[in-house]
Amino acid sequence: MRASAVAGLILANMNDSLLSRLTATRSMAAVPYGARYRLIDFPLSNLANAGVSTIGIVTKENYRSLMDHIGSGVSWDLDRKNGGIYLLPPYVTSDVKRYTGTVDALHGALDYLERCKADHIVLCHGDTVANIDIAAMVDAHLATGAEVTVAYHHGVPPFENHDTVLPRFAQDGRIVGLTANPTGREETDFCIGIMVMARSLLMQIVRDAFAEGQNNFTVDVLAHKTESLKIYGYEHIGFVAVMDGTNAYYKASMDLLDPHVRRQLFNKRRPIFTKTRDDMPTRYGTKSSVKNCLIADGCVINGTVKNSIVFRGVTVEKDAVVENCILMQETMIGRGATLQYVISDKNAVIGEGMSLSGTPDKRFFVEKNQTL
Amino acid sequence: MNGKKCIAMLLAGGQGSRLGVLTSKIAKPAVPYGGKYRIIDFPLSNCVNSGIDTVGILTQYKPLELNDYIGSGKPWDLDRTNGGVHILPPYQTQEGGNWYKGTANAIYQNMEFIERYDPEHVLILSGDHIYKMDYSKMLKQHIESAAACTIAVLEVTPEEASRFGIMNTDQNDTIYEFEEKPKHPKSNLASMGIYIFSWQKLKKYLTEDEADSNSSNDFGKDVIPAMLNAGELMKVYRFADYWKDVGTVDSLWEANLDLLNPKINLNLSDSDWRIYSRTTGMPPQYICDTAEVENSLVTDGCDVNGKLDYSILFENVTVEHGASVEYSLVMPGAVIKKGASVKYAIIAENVVVEENAEIGADPAVVGPEGWGITVIGDRLTIGRGAKIGPSRMITEDVGEGETR
Repeated sequence: MRASAVAGLILANMNDSLLSRLTATRSMAAVPYGARYRLIDFPLSNLANAGVSTIGIVTKENYRSLMDHIGSGVSWDLDRKNGGIYLLPPYVTSDVKRYTGTVDALHGALDYLERCKADHIVLCHGDTVANIDIAAMVDAHLATGAEVTVAYHHGVPPFENHDTVLPRFAQDGRIVGLTANPTGREETDFCIGIMVMARSLLMQIVRDAFAEGQNNFTVDVLAHKTESLKIYGYEHIGFVAVMDGTNAYYKASMDLLDPHVRRQLFNKRRPIFTKTRDDMPTRYGTKSSVKNCLIADGCVINGTVKNSIVFRGVTVEKDAVVENCILMQETMIGRGATLQYVISDKNAVIGEGMSLSGTPDKRFFVEKNQTL
Repeated sequence: MNGKKCIAMLLAGGQGSRLGVLTSKIAKPAVPYGGKYRIIDFPLSNCVNSGIDTVGILTQYKPLELNDYIGSGKPWDLDRTNGGVHILPPYQTQEGGNWYKGTANAIYQNMEFIERYDPEHVLILSGDHIYKMDYSKMLKQHIESAAACTIAVLEVTPEEASRFGIMNTDQNDTIYEFEEKPKHPKSNLASMGIYIFSWQKLKKYLTEDEADSNSSNDFGKDVIPAMLNAGELMKVYRFADYWKDVGTVDSLWEANLDLLNPKINLNLSDSDWRIYSRTTGMPPQYICDTAEVENSLVTDGCDVNGKLDYSILFENVTVEHGASVEYSLVMPGAVIKKGASVKYAIIAENVVVEENAEIGADPAVVGPEGWGITVIGDRLTIGRGAKIGPSRMITEDVGEGETR
């Protein structure tokens, strides 16, 4: 495959409202996840690992942290003369409102699609975490002669968002039905927002759907085209998390404490890259006690931390006890503080002796830059 | 090309033979340090943080890993259009070629490179030391004093002085004599191997030194004394922060464990003076619920299930259940299997320590006699239940149950 044969397109503002507190100051794709990543690191690394070097990122609002994170794209080896990363914010004109659905979002990317010259486009949702072999998926797409190939996974589908569709297969593997909005919580096959199709076809579908005033690309558009288009599935086996709601976000974070999940998400063949910060390694002090935690570099741990996800540059002072928490970048936990089921956003400060507790279903949330 | 005020030349060709098996396959500046760094990250980061954007790295001994590590210089922000980092191995000309005969000859052979940048001053560095230093302050003093050469010095104790090159100075910090490892030191100012020369002067003395067939072509032995004899103005630049030569197994081990000592002033998390390194995209470290981790540094890619105390784990190290690592350095990719014990040791890259093997010993238990740090060379396997005593340097695989 020529390097330029495939380009990527990532929808960064997918379902922002479902993680409203974490997306108050950032887009969905910029939500911190897994101690040192942001959600966009997964689609970006997946594409980069497949040799895709031209990637458009469609944004709508709150994209400053995303821009800051991506920079020149050097962390993913995507600072290219030929291709690279294109951030696609909406055109701000007096008669254009910011988009509301994925059809609008894709319509706003038509210019990029027009110019990028690739034969095929890999479309990724910015709210989905997986380590998927995109190169193998593109190969499958070419081998089956499909017009559209959608990645699917067998598991409990997300049911809070309005993008999830369940595929129904004919015997030859062709998808003959895509059912919207699952309500059941049983395991089934569901599409994970990653699809491959010819660039010309995507542009045609988007133009038509936009003219017809359609809203959602999968549910309103693709789901009605299983007869007219040859749509095939590509099964992804391995960890998948769709961030449809804070419960899903918390569960997907805690899932990383399971070694099987980590093995599925992080492997040497397809590493997940992120912006580097050049932190020093994490320092554990005398009498620190850490059990079952995923911890990034640059932390100083002098207290007790259990069953938690700890991002870069976090400090936990002596005699503090942190359990079942997600502590984002540069969180400071003062001496003797106790935290149970807390999610602290970036730069949060929890003062000495404070006691905060949430429950497994409703975490206590400390906002970005908030001092308690 | 525009003239540069100051460029740096980093002498990275040394073998570092006193590090034994740790430098059998890599040059000393490429030796891992502090969990995620290599020694060369210190002078390179110091250069960038000091505003020096052109660095020539002189390589000779086992340069492959070092070349690979430096690459385009991106991690240090040294991938520049005008300047940046350049690897300078010895090369051939029509008259033939030579290995670098000495430190001065290495610079002499690259005068053409230096001329391309037409610098006013040249900073000479080595890749043997751990320290954070603002070279721009030293350069400022060098320019203000109008010296031909400024040499960075550190005050050392009289006992230590006989291990260093000592600068004897007058009350104006002007050097009047240089003594290499004096038995009876007259001063306590030890050379740190960091020199700033005015380029026109350096060029003159390097050319004269090269013409002298009796010279060993070394800065300390030949060039500095020649400049002193000729009456050039030479000044010391006093430095009073952390600085450590990591040329021996003991000093490398100590300099690493210094990072765990809150009384030692070597802060690598200073956001105003970052030490940069090349990273490889490893996931965060995982500390299991059976782990006990105290007084240690751990970095990305590590999987800790056993006990850690006063130790440093480099990238991607696994410590299995029931294994213990104390007062040790475990370099990238090494695996310490179930029930194994590692004490007072340096485990090099990608070593596998099989189950229940025992490496090294506690000086409090075995006594000071014959005690020392044990070193396991890279990619070796230490067999199940093998016992490796203190002060051993292991260069080949050790079989199951064997004793060394």
